[in-house]
Amino acid sequence: MPLEILLVLVVFGISGIALLLHLTGRSKRPELTLDSARAAWSRHFPDDTIEAIQVSIEGHAALVHSDAGLGLLWVFGADTVARHLTGCDVTKTDTGLRVDFHDFAAPPAIFPLTTDERATWQAQMEAA
Amino acid sequence: MTDQLTYPDVVSLAVPLFIALILAEFMWIAIKGRGGRYETRDAVTSLVMGAGNVAAGLVLGFVAWGFFMWLWRLTPLDLGTSVWVVLACFVLDDLRYYWVHRFGHRIRWVWASHVNHHSSQHYNLTTALRQTWTSTFTFMMVVRAPLILIGFHPAMVLFVGGLNLIYQFWIHTEAIGRMPRWVEAIMNTPSHHRVHHGRNARYLDANYAGVFIIWDKLFGTFVPELDEEKPDYGLVHNIATFNPIRVAFHEWVGIFKDILQPGLTWRDRLMYCVAPPGWSHDGSRDTSETIKAKHLIRHPEDSGTPGFQ
Repeated sequence: MPLEILLVLVVFGISGIALLLHLTGRSKRPELTLDSARAAWSRHFPDDTIEAIQVSIEGHAALVHSDAGLGLLWVFGADTVARHLTGCDVTKTDTGLRVDFHDFAAPPAIFPLTTDERATWQAQMEAA
Repeated sequence: MTDQLTYPDVVSLAVPLFIALILAEFMWIAIKGRGGRYETRDAVTSLVMGAGNVAAGLVLGFVAWGFFMWLWRLTPLDLGTSVWVVLACFVLDDLRYYWVHRFGHRIRWVWASHVNHHSSQHYNLTTALRQTWTSTFTFMMVVRAPLILIGFHPAMVLFVGGLNLIYQFWIHTEAIGRMPRWVEAIMNTPSHHRVHHGRNARYLDANYAGVFIIWDKLFGTFVPELDEEKPDYGLVHNIATFNPIRVAFHEWVGIFKDILQPGLTWRDRLMYCVAPPGWSHDGSRDTSETIKAKHLIRHPEDSGTPGFQ
């Protein structure tokens, strides 16, 4: 197949599929609840015993206390990802907290939080 | 000896088919409300990885091709180009695929290339296209050397490899439950391959087959999909990025960070490259063996069941 035709097919194919998915609601992010956050953490870290969970008011992140220490769970596409909070850097932003995990597979992310949440989460994260 | 032999670039020719089947699968899921999930950024990442794989082949393909042609000039054997030879080449290349794929899960240097194919938490036809950009750097082209040395032309070997890749496209779906029993017995199917993509302890390091599942049965790596345990797709430690560059290179970065740690012996540094994924010099990480062992501590009732035998 000529390279130009392949290129056109690939560009229009990817763009068309992306548009179709977006317009049919496949970009929606789920909101976490205490139960879904608990289930998600256990899925990522089945060895951990969860002690407490705080879901952000905005609903896309949760701070998880377990016997392995403090961790962060957050919505990623239609699913979730999670990291134990060891060796990360936390900085305050206008809308929440920026966490740098120093992990090439988990680039720095900003978590929207209320002013009160931001203060309590930051204190817990820095103590971790 | 035939030097000039050409076959169509079947993977490029199949691109319209890939797009049509992705649309068909998506419509099926949307209409029926079952049979899989799609998410925009996940799907786009997979598709971009697929396009990047083709581009990497165009840029770096000369390395493997040069190596194969060097072998071809070396060997006195030429099996010719009959249909039977092509069929034999297809079957033997599938055996080659099984071992390369198994190495891809058991040797971290090769896993660094293959990991991106498992990095989606979804399992749909776009996942099939989430392919590596860095296979050249794994040097796994050497596993094809015996095929060429026994007389299969390099062009034929690449042609059947392309057919193998196309076959594997349709098995990346949840829209198909189980195929007829004889098909499930011989061929790799959506059910068998869902197991391969599962991050459940039970399903780790299983079902490496490309086209014929018989290789897994022969070499003891076959695990059936259990109705009572749905595969949970993705990586043991899921990545938190849709950025194709990060998807493509994250495990390579991980390897280099590990081997550059201060205070390691040269053996430790080598092991970070060639030991199974999850190996660490201080035992602080989990390999698939320790994950299975820990699962059995939590669920001793699973001992002796598929995936824990």
